[in-house]
Amino acid sequence: MYLLEHDAKEILAARGIPVPAGRLIERDETIDRLALPPGPWVVKGQIAAGGRGKAGLIRKAATLREITDHVAAVLGATVKGRTVEAVRIEQQVTGAEEAYISLLLDAAAGGVRIILSGRGGVDVEALPAGSIRSDTAVAEAGALASCAERLAAAFDGAKGKALREAGGRLARTFLEHEALLIEINPLFVYPDGQWVAGDAKLITDDNALPRQDALGRLVEARAAAYPDVARKHEHGFDYVVVDPEGEIGLLTTGAGLSMMLIDELRAAGLKPYNFLDIRTGGLRGETRRLTQVLQWIGEGRNVKVLLVNIFAGITDLGEFSRLLVSALAAVPQLKAPVVARLVGNGLPAAREVLAEAGIALYTDLDEALAALRQHLKA
Amino acid sequence: MFPCDSVAVINPRIGRTTPVIVQGITGRAGQLHSRLMRQYGTNVVGGVSPGAKGREVNGLPVFAACKEAVAATGAQASVLLVGAMQLLEAMKDAVAAGIRYLVTPTEGMPVHDALVAQRLVREADALWIGASTPGMAIAGKLKLGFLPDDSLRPGPLGLMSKSGTLSYEAGYRLAQRGAGTSVWVGVGGDPVKGTRFADLVPFYGADQQTEALLIIGEIGGVDEEEFAAALTAHRFAKPVFALIAGKSAPEGVTMGHAGALVHGSHGTYAAKRAALEAAGVTVFSSLNEMVEGICARLR
Repeated sequence: MYLLEHDAKEILAARGIPVPAGRLIERDETIDRLALPPGPWVVKGQIAAGGRGKAGLIRKAATLREITDHVAAVLGATVKGRTVEAVRIEQQVTGAEEAYISLLLDAAAGGVRIILSGRGGVDVEALPAGSIRSDTAVAEAGALASCAERLAAAFDGAKGKALREAGGRLARTFLEHEALLIEINPLFVYPDGQWVAGDAKLITDDNALPRQDALGRLVEARAAAYPDVARKHEHGFDYVVVDPEGEIGLLTTGAGLSMMLIDELRAAGLKPYNFLDIRTGGLRGETRRLTQVLQWIGEGRNVKVLLVNIFAGITDLGEFSRLLVSALAAVPQLKAPVVARLVGNGLPAAREVLAEAGIALYTDLDEALAALRQHLKA
Repeated sequence: MFPCDSVAVINPRIGRTTPVIVQGITGRAGQLHSRLMRQYGTNVVGGVSPGAKGREVNGLPVFAACKEAVAATGAQASVLLVGAMQLLEAMKDAVAAGIRYLVTPTEGMPVHDALVAQRLVREADALWIGASTPGMAIAGKLKLGFLPDDSLRPGPLGLMSKSGTLSYEAGYRLAQRGAGTSVWVGVGGDPVKGTRFADLVPFYGADQQTEALLIIGEIGGVDEEEFAAALTAHRFAKPVFALIAGKSAPEGVTMGHAGALVHGSHGTYAAKRAALEAAGVTVFSSLNEMVEGICARLR
């Protein structure tokens, strides 16, 4: 889960990481002047992607009038396909130098990579190699802390002190919250070595969510900000709207096959609406999951056709088809015609069930796509 | 004739006679897949389930722990069909009992658990395939896990895949066209995994049944880039093909596989394709192109 900066800072602050005082303002919310920290301020659009500064989502404000103008400009803006639903109004940090620190999962090394730099505020990849200190360590508190301390020793004075201290605290947070990445860029460092996290990027492991209480509570409380994670947390499978304007609803299983199908549809000039890994093995003879997904797909305002693509290694397609037909009947608001492409275990039974329900069944994906195009033209 | 009876991924060789246990055998998946694996030819000799000592599943004895199962059956391999939050403990049990091959289909293993498991397995010099894997197979001989029989046709193509379903589809279409597989390893879609594409490059290079190699990758991580570097480092001389899913996935969004998450310029489709092509790999853009391309080259 890629946390919004505001949420990341709340989580970090709770673990003793200093962050500038700030307040979240959501769309349609009025700004309560008394609740704001002392100025000057920075208005920061909250989306889960990098490059917010370049996209104009981070703006300085010296007056309340400027805050109002910036909030109006930033809220609702769309960057990298994401709409800004909230801003964080934060006290500007002044009189500090900038440094950089990150900890990230290094899957290839089987450990955690720590990166420190005496320069901050720009993309770490843009920093000269000589200004970076980096090493990997085993994902254990002692090993990470001593690695951070060793790397920080390369920096003098205030920055050295701040990086050493931040390294130790962030290492503990990384392990406690089972993070995949924590990046503080910039890390503001005052002349006396005090420091504060200017920005915060925190990515946590969705698989660990059931045992990460603070993160679980966050997802439940802010489900609208994390729809994909909240859905998975609640329902146990993956569903992502990839294009709100999409025309093809997808009822698919398997992450890789579903991704490939989206790639191929797009390459053919078609517009898929959603990604889905429904995990047919988890249906357990019930229509609940299918009904839920069909309702979600029904929310797509441009969805004109539903493509079912299932490769059944173990799943019985006969049973799956019966569940599908019942689920479709239970979701009459989804009026899109259905094109089914099924291969594998139990195909003859599936053919009978779908024929009775008037659903076209194909075993060849290209033939299914041709039928799909007919529906899109109609 | 394809394929061989056993292969030497590590020592001991793994093959039709290798005794295999199923951890979590009394569960729904454990009962089903212990039966299906036996049907396919795998030498399943028993199972483990902490609360079910003395029971039988599909005529197989059930033990309370791996140590007892190994003592009674001589098991060398285990297929672990247990919950994500129980997987690390079950793996510790297996490694401590001397199991040398661990296959873990479980989806959703916490990444920090996988880091611990990876060190554990390396220190024991064992082989771990997974997590989030449908398993591995020597086509026509044995399977550890649940690769679908329809996709498994014996032949000369080595196959490694991050995705289960996409590999089923690829294997099925290739099999229908007469292109079968030698040794199929689902490495799994998690970022931290037991066996990565690059780890098996020396194995496929030496394996006499394998004439060419197909990898089915995904955006996210650097497994494909690492694999490309390993091909060059090992002077891999057989033809190599690749298919990579997720070309049009948005940045920062997890699509099913925890590993398939792109951050900035890392793990992108373009980076992977470029690295693979620079190492001489033929990268296909679609399933159809892949099937046609491979069939033409193998002929």
